[in-house]
Parts: sequence; C-alpha cells; structure tokens
Amino acid sequence: MNELPPGQPAPAAPEGDRPLTRKERLIRKVRLHLAMTVREIFEEMEKDPSRPKAMAYFDDIFRKFMHNGEGVIKASDDQKVIGTYCVFVPEEIIYAAGGYPVRLCAGAHDSNEIGEDFLPDVACPMVKSEMGFAAMPILDFYQRCDMVALPASCHWKLKMGEMLEPFDDVHMLDVPRVKESEKARDYWLEEVRRFQRRVEKITGKRIRRRQLRDAIRKIQRAQREVVRFQNLRKTIPAPILGRDALEVLNAYFYDEVEDWTEALRALNEELEERIRTGVHAAPPRAARILLTGSPMVFPNWKVPFIIEDLGGILAADEFCTSQRYLSDMVSVDEGTMGDMLMAIAERYVLPCACPTFSNTIERRDRIARLVDEYRIEGVIYHVLKGCHPFDIEQKVIEQLLQEKGVPMLKIETDYSPEDVEQLRTRIEAFQETLKGRL
Amino acid sequence: MNIQRLRLAVQLLSFTVLIYGGLFAIDLGNRLPTFACSYVPDHGGGCFLVGFQHMLSRPLPEFLGEQGIRLLKALGIASLWAIVLNKAWCGWICPFGLLQDLLTKVRVWLSIDMSRFSWMTRHRYKSVKYILLALLILIPLGIGNGLISRDWTAPYCQLCPARPLLPLFQGDTTQFAINFLSIPTMLLTGGAIILVGLMFTTSFVKRRFLCSYCPMLAFLSLFDKIGLFSLKKDGDKCTRCGNCYRACPMEIREIEEEKTLKNLVTQDCILCLRCVEACPENMALEAQFAGFSFLKADAEAFLARQDAVTAGTGTRKGRKKK
Repeated sequence: MNELPPGQPAPAAPEGDRPLTRKERLIRKVRLHLAMTVREIFEEMEKDPSRPKAMAYFDDIFRKFMHNGEGVIKASDDQKVIGTYCVFVPEEIIYAAGGYPVRLCAGAHDSNEIGEDFLPDVACPMVKSEMGFAAMPILDFYQRCDMVALPASCHWKLKMGEMLEPFDDVHMLDVPRVKESEKARDYWLEEVRRFQRRVEKITGKRIRRRQLRDAIRKIQRAQREVVRFQNLRKTIPAPILGRDALEVLNAYFYDEVEDWTEALRALNEELEERIRTGVHAAPPRAARILLTGSPMVFPNWKVPFIIEDLGGILAADEFCTSQRYLSDMVSVDEGTMGDMLMAIAERYVLPCACPTFSNTIERRDRIARLVDEYRIEGVIYHVLKGCHPFDIEQKVIEQLLQEKGVPMLKIETDYSPEDVEQLRTRIEAFQETLKGRL
Repeated sequence: MNIQRLRLAVQLLSFTVLIYGGLFAIDLGNRLPTFACSYVPDHGGGCFLVGFQHMLSRPLPEFLGEQGIRLLKALGIASLWAIVLNKAWCGWICPFGLLQDLLTKVRVWLSIDMSRFSWMTRHRYKSVKYILLALLILIPLGIGNGLISRDWTAPYCQLCPARPLLPLFQGDTTQFAINFLSIPTMLLTGGAIILVGLMFTTSFVKRRFLCSYCPMLAFLSLFDKIGLFSLKKDGDKCTRCGNCYRACPMEIREIEEEKTLKNLVTQDCILCLRCVEACPENMALEAQFAGFSFLKADAEAFLARQDAVTAGTGTRKGRKKK
C-alpha cells in the first residue's frame, strides 16, 4: 500500500492527463486538512501576547506538521527509527542501542477517516488516528519507522498490532495487568530483555553497560528539567498556560532528548524570570483546573483551549502523554547491567497509573497529590469515546474527589471539532460554579 | 548528604574501635548487641551473647539468686543498647556486616548482577532467626541442667562465622580452625568455617545473605517498636515504584507494599536507609531518631544521587554542565 515514498510532498496536480486515484485524493485531502488544523491552532496561540519566548522552539516542531511532518524527528539518515506507543516502551534501550525513538500516539482528527477503514465505529479516535497515519503517507516520521513497539495495554492497542503488520515491523510488548505479583514482574523484565534483543538486532549494536547508563542519564536529565518545570507551574498566578505546557511535554514525543532538555531549560529560566518580575499567563483568581482521563495529543487541544479561553487555568494534567509520561524516573541502584534493566522495567510499569492495570490505587493517589500540590479547584475528566479503561475508572475518581471536596466535570468527546460549542457551554457552566465557591 | 558514604565511614570507625579499641585502652564493655567478637585479642567491645550463653548454663534453681540478678543485668544492658540504637547495630556498627558490605562493593565493581530469593522462599525462612534465638536460650539451659553435653558450651560462639574471621584482623589465626575435641565441637566449629565460606561466596550473589538468619537480628527485632530509630512512611505519597525494595539489601517487601503502616522498621530491617535515599517522592519516607527527623526522602537529593551513580566515577563532570 506504501507506493508513495515517505516524505514526498503532497501529490500535486496530476501529471499529464492522469486523474488522481481515490487514494491520492484522500492523502491530499488529509494533508491539507491537517495543515489547516495546525495553522488554526497557531493562529489562535499567536493571539496571546504574553507567551514565553522560549515556546518558539516547541512551536517549530509542531508547525512542521503542516509540511508533512518533515524534520519533526531529528534522526540521521543511517539512524534506525523506532516508533513507540503508550508509556511502556523503554526509550533508554532505544537510545542505548543508537536508535531514535519517536512516540506515535496521535491526536489528529483528520486521519481518522483513513483509520475508520480498519477499525469498528466504536474504536477510540486515538487508534483510528494512529492507524490512519500508519496506513498512508501523511506524516513523514510514521513512514520512517524501522520498527514499531506496541505495548498490549488496552484492547484497542492489543488488536492494533495485527492491523499495523502490513505497514510496519511490529514488536508487541506484553504489559502485565496485575502488576502486584512476583511472576508478573519477572515476566515484564523478560519482556524488556526481549525488547532489548530486538532493538539490538534492528540497530545492529549491542547495548553495553556504558551505553545504557548514558541513555538513562540523558533521560533523567530531561526529567529533571520536567520536575523543575512542574514545580514552576505550581506558582500562583500561573507563569505559563496549561496548553503551552501540554505542547512542551508533547514535543518530547518527537524531539531528540538532549535538544529538548536544553529547550526546556531555556523555558524554565524564562519562567523563573517571569515569576521574579511578576509576569503571569493567567490572572491570580483564575480557576485552577486539573485535566485527567484519556490522553490529549497535538493537535487535539480543543479542551485546553476552551478552558483557558474561558478564563480558567489548566494548572496540571494527569495524562500519559505529558505528566505521567515523564514524572517517574529510573532509579539506578548498583549500576550493573541487570540492575539497570530491572530499574528500567520497573519504572515503566510499577508506578504507572494507566487504567489498564487491575487497580486504581496509583492513579487515585496521584490525582489526590496533584490536587493538593497544584491547589486544584476543579477537575475535568476527559473521556474519549471508545476509551473504556478511563471511562470505567471515572466513578472511582469521582468518589475520591467528592471526599476531597473538589468538583468534577466529566466530558465525553472525540477528536472532531463538531462538539466544541457544546463543550464550551458545559465547561463555562462548570467554571462559573467554581467562581461561585470562592 | 550521602548517607551511604556516611554509613561506610561509621562502619569503618566502629570496626576499628571494636576490633582494635583495646590497643588504645577503649572498652565499651562486653554487652554489645552486635558481632563484636570477644575472641579478638584486645577488642574494644564485646558481643553480649558470649556472657549470656555462659550465664544461662546454670542449674535452674540458681537463677532465683545472685545468678538471676547477674543475668538480668546483662540482659538489661544489652536491651538498653538495643533500644538506643536498635537496628543501627546491624547496618552501621556490626563488623561482620561491614565485611559483607565490602564484598558487595567488590561484586558491583566486578559488575556481577545480584540475585534475590523468590518471595515465597524469603517468607518461608523468616522464622529461622527466631528459632535460632530460642535455641540460643534453650541449649545453654540444657547444658546447665545436665541434659546436654558440656561439649556444646557456648554453641553460638562455636558456630558464629565472626569468631574465626574477626581475630584474623589482629593476626590471630588460632580461631580459624576446626576443633576436633569431640563430635559437637567438630560440628559447630566446622559449621563456623562453612559459614565463613558461605559469606564469601554468597556475597557475590546476594547482599547481606547471612544477616537474615542472624539470631542477633532476631534479638534486636524485639525492640523494633520501642527503639529510638524509626522509619516512617507516608502511604499517600508513595507511588509504589519499587525503588526502595530494589535498594533494600534485606529484600523487605513491606517497604514498597505498605500503604497504611506508619513505622517501617520491620523484623529484617537493618536501618541502612538505602530505601530513604532511593525514594524519589518528597517526604514519602522519613528516618527519625527519638522523634527527631534526620533524613527525608527528597526528589532533589534523589536526582543528585542518581547523577552520581550514572556518572560512574566522574561525578564532577556531570555536575559541571549545570
């Protein structure tokens, strides 16, 4: 199906008299629509004069989505690119083997149309979007992947492996659901080792102690900046909008880790300066909102935009695409090969609050901590249509928040822009009630 | 503050004091609840189990008189020591523990991976140290009342791996031998040599292997609740990332799993405080002495430590960039 070489610009006018095939037309349409979506987002963002200047670096990455995503990833020509999904693929191993990881979780409504050919109607928009990008050459980096690592987290992801097979070299990772048991941990460590062997085979480089240690270090340094960034976000009034924060953390999907760390360091410094000089992104009385639930990936930022357009501030989020993705760290203890691999394996599963695991303890505690630390006044629980794990957990979280006395609004939506006005009305009403409480 | 470096320093200091202290006229008494072997010539302090076993080897009626007072006094002093420093005796003072920790350093230097017992195995053998502690009292009583041969005198000293090993540090090799006097002495002293061998070999596989079976640990664990050192956990802050469990040389799972229990000095804990250092969540773990908190889990400290670990030897190089 991949007759178009990756990275080629959108099929232009038909050569000679040959009319465009249905597929070519579709690709052209999706590329155009995606470019329009991205342009709209940045036009909206430019209206905000108080944006930190260091955001320009992250904007550049996403602006490239308008041009088939060329240059979004910085892998050199001879470097192997390994696509990842979810939060369970150990990137340390990919870096240690000299590969380039890129996370493929997608948020574009525009590619859903293609994905719908593969999946049932009730499938969540995220897998539809991902399938769309994998199946057709819309974005360059989806086509560049030499291998795709797919954890069997939710049912959609589990079955997506087979569907991806015609387009990608797929490596399934079996994440244990009941992670409390000893055998589950051993099994997961074995899965990580299997992944390591596979990556080594793809890149042709054996991972030695030193490389693994350096890779761990690189990512830890990035996370160290994230810790700093998140601490700055706790300041009231907020020095940065939540949607900008989402963008920053989302950019980690694609960017080279050290470059990204540098860019975030620059941003952190700017934010520190802003706090010193009293520049803020939202008024001190803005309602502090926590977003949790199904992940939000660029360009699906309609909810954060609505929240902040209405005068609230997205103070924190609990998404596997941002906060949860980068907050837990590998803890090297002895530094032997086995110790490091175990540390990596455990970091990706044990503290993870993904609802595909059997219990909600980790997630409940995490949300409770976020509410306290970021002084959250209201929680918006975001469920993507078809995302059952998050939908199921909603009741437990609602109960927890009731006990804490924090109001919660559940919204169920997908990637389409159709329900924006309806969402706006509901979120506006919710934020009004928050104001009333003050 | 790097607690593990501090601990090593304290361990080396205690080792010097306990093994060579006598040469500098230091005497901490012979009632210390730690493996400060009394067989070491000119030791600076002695293990209380030697005297304890001898005192117990008496006919029962004698305990109603002066002998009973002496026994209670010895036990009282040892208990007092145990309350003041509880498990710090194991993690910070025990010379035998230091030797195991040093061998672990050699193993890590040779980059040999450690291994752990399965949870079931670990659980199954937890009672061994208490059985040994019970026998420590019953055998001397048996000897004193004519039920057991005199050849079993001070059985735990005969069996203790610290007895052949620690006098070597003063050049005394006489204890590094099997006593062929009788079958019991042969079994016990032979056992000690085997335990020394086990200590050396297992240190290249596991951490603090022998400590889990130590009757002294069992004795000290009786004071876990009232000891002045305590390890607090705030379950709400815990993400159950498992870092503490992985860092724990005694393979204590409670440290990771427990979300409600407040004091985490469990029966096998040796207060090495590696768990507190490995914890990345602010204030989730906290070490206290007499209610005064002296070490807290801290995200910044965690990161600094990780920086040092992943930098290998060149710690400074990593910091310069910042």
